Amino acid sequence: MANRYDDKKFGEVVRDYVRGAISRRQFIVRGAQLGLSAAVLAKLTRPSRAAANLVDSDPASPYESPITPERVAFLKTKPYKGTTINVMVLKATVGDGLKYHVPHWEQATGGKVNVAEVPIETLHTQIFSDLSSGLGKYDTYMTGAWFYGDFFVPKDPYIVPVEKFIADPKHSYWDPDQWLPAMRKLYSWNEKVYGVLFDGDAQALYYRKDEFAKKENQDKFKAKYNYDLPAPPKTTKEYHDVADFFTGWDWNGDGQKDWGISLHAKVNEQGFFHFLTLSAPFVVSPDNKYYFFNPDTMKPLINSEGHVRALEDYVKFLANGPKEEISWTLGQGWNLFLDGHSATEPTWGDLPTLAQDPKTSKVQGKMGAAPLPGTTEAFNPITGQWKKYDLNQVGNTNGGSWHCVISRLSKKQEATYDFLAFMANKKNALFNCTTGWTGVQPGMKFEYIPPMGTGKVTDWTGANPPWNEDDVVEYLKAYYAVLAAPIQQEYLRIPGAAEYWHDLDINVSAVLAGQIKPKAGLDATAAAWEKVTDRYGRDKQKALYKASFA
Amino acid sequence: MAARVERLEHGGYFKYALLLPAVIWVLAFTFLPLLSVIRYSFSSYVMGEGVTGFVGFQNYVNVLTSVEFWQSILVTVVYVVVAVPIELVLGFLAAWLVNLGAPGSKTFRAIIGSPLFTLEVAIGYLGVTFFTDQGGLIAVPLSVLGIHVPWMSTAYGGIAGAILLDVWRWTSFIFIIVLAGLAGIPGELYDAAVLDAKSHWQVMWHLAVPLAWPVTTIAVLLRTIECLKTFAIPFALTSGGPGTSTQTFSAMDYLTTIQFFDFGKGSAMGIVYLILVSAIIAIFFQQMRKQLT
Repeated sequence: MANRYDDKKFGEVVRDYVRGAISRRQFIVRGAQLGLSAAVLAKLTRPSRAAANLVDSDPASPYESPITPERVAFLKTKPYKGTTINVMVLKATVGDGLKYHVPHWEQATGGKVNVAEVPIETLHTQIFSDLSSGLGKYDTYMTGAWFYGDFFVPKDPYIVPVEKFIADPKHSYWDPDQWLPAMRKLYSWNEKVYGVLFDGDAQALYYRKDEFAKKENQDKFKAKYNYDLPAPPKTTKEYHDVADFFTGWDWNGDGQKDWGISLHAKVNEQGFFHFLTLSAPFVVSPDNKYYFFNPDTMKPLINSEGHVRALEDYVKFLANGPKEEISWTLGQGWNLFLDGHSATEPTWGDLPTLAQDPKTSKVQGKMGAAPLPGTTEAFNPITGQWKKYDLNQVGNTNGGSWHCVISRLSKKQEATYDFLAFMANKKNALFNCTTGWTGVQPGMKFEYIPPMGTGKVTDWTGANPPWNEDDVVEYLKAYYAVLAAPIQQEYLRIPGAAEYWHDLDINVSAVLAGQIKPKAGLDATAAAWEKVTDRYGRDKQKALYKASFA
Repeated sequence: MAARVERLEHGGYFKYALLLPAVIWVLAFTFLPLLSVIRYSFSSYVMGEGVTGFVGFQNYVNVLTSVEFWQSILVTVVYVVVAVPIELVLGFLAAWLVNLGAPGSKTFRAIIGSPLFTLEVAIGYLGVTFFTDQGGLIAVPLSVLGIHVPWMSTAYGGIAGAILLDVWRWTSFIFIIVLAGLAGIPGELYDAAVLDAKSHWQVMWHLAVPLAWPVTTIAVLLRTIECLKTFAIPFALTSGGPGTSTQTFSAMDYLTTIQFFDFGKGSAMGIVYLILVSAIIAIFFQQMRKQLT
């Protein structure tokens, strides 16, 4: 290979990178094009983290571990005395999780935190009203990952990157390199980190492994379906058979008929995530990564043959749960499984964490977990072709992955970051993901046990309430498999994502209620999406959509 | 001095000065916002960029050809047409009985107004616990009696549940206004009517209803206007679902304008709705004038 290295050109590339004219990725790509090692360039340009001389803990901040000596010295000055931070949070478990840390941070730093809780129906509105009006009443907002595109609509983005704060050792220590890559992406934009670690959502399949292990159930299943009861189901066909098998009879011995699946499909309450997750393997595959739009034309793909078949398949599950579940909130859906009346539930990691509380759960120690079933045939909406696979399983990061971002309008950005970093510190992050009522799920390697990560089972079994050890192993293995799957469903993060998903939500809900047929529902969704795209500007949306895959 | 005051009172400036605060208020909080809405209705708006261009009547075309818009109108009309008459009948009957001095009237009069002090959104969320199949305080007793209503999983169930909650909250509004109207009927007329009538119900129908009608129509008009704007109870109960089958106009306009910042389409929806409601009110007043003459 000819040596393309050119001193002058490389100097220009370095200058552009240092000035911020090009991103780190562009720097690495251009450097590689000039003949330099991409791996070396990547290592050299990795954002610096706080000092490596960490200590395990210090009385200056009993809720931080590990902690830097600089942080210890900083806290002794009560640096934020007289400073008040205003935080807008989601009125839900994750909001409760944030509030838990407030008094600890206030005590350590002298600062004060005002928390305003907002329901999910109005969170997007309230965040962007505060920003677009210029009011800037709040320093930081708890955002869903799908709001990100809207933060970057104006020329001057509404939120600020946090990398400069991360590098400052006087703030609470946390390491973004610990993120699983799929999760880090949701906290970043154009490779810059804007979010501070909090929640890491993904949907997986949770099932009653005790009922699946019972010999009489296995024998009955085999007699009916002519194959062994799959624990867990690996394909959608197997999942239908399993859900069907456990529906309509009293398998838990409490005198009531029980169900094969529990769903929380209420419109305007994140019900559409069920469809996103269950439909992914019908469309996303090793041969196609696009789920929402054609990247060259920005035409919606949502009404492709694959999506329609997926929705028809999803509708069949309604026979395996209570009719009312099409209007159930998250809590109502989870209750059916936690009360022991549903054999399976495809949902977020809140379910296994809530399962550990004997006050509200009858299924502690009985829970199996697995990636959601895949398909043996997937449709490529770009080429218009179906293709068979041995097993096409798709990972996801579906959900809010709720976390805080810092407002550009805030006059207390450093103090605000300090509070957010405090919650991201390993000790607090572990508390969050092992404690059910916080609604937080693990997205960092230190939160997973070997061989997936560097954590310990005792981090979980020592929590309050304590996790059942079998549940820990099942949950973390499955959750990691979902987040680290090589084939991932894309996460829509362009401006207007909330509106695109709302259009999908209302039409899927109408299909579930029997008001319209699946094809008509998805055609209506596609037509609504075209209008949204035109309003935001097709070319702009196309560029941002392509960039979101970078 | 007296002459000067008299001149002022009968002259031009004093009366205009007194009217000025009200005029400023109306201009600032009604006409100026209305002009703003009209401007947005002819524009395209993107959150973060503001008004991005003039689009003529495109927003109006989008609204008038939107199935979702007409469905929200239908849901709202059904809501009003069912809820308001029920509230009228129940409110009038309750007022009549209290006016007669039926046993327990004093206690009833004291407590019937309490629903008016509750927040509609709280009532809506409470409604979920009443109507859910999973232990709902209304759903479960009804199902024990063999009455299974899919309150939360169908359009008609959701609207029926929302209307029941609305009736619980707003009947007292009609009651209070009608009671005042009935109290204004001279006692001698009652005494004379009782002599001729076979029952109190005949007195009510032939005397109380006609004489209290002017006050009652005001109550109905006010309640209808409020009901046409209904949002919190149905939205908190069903979030507009399943699909958009229980989504009222206000909910749809809220989502379009406030949640998704489509000020252009949302403003056009508001203007169209204003025209429709104004037509309804005009017809109402026309019928009322005919009734009175």
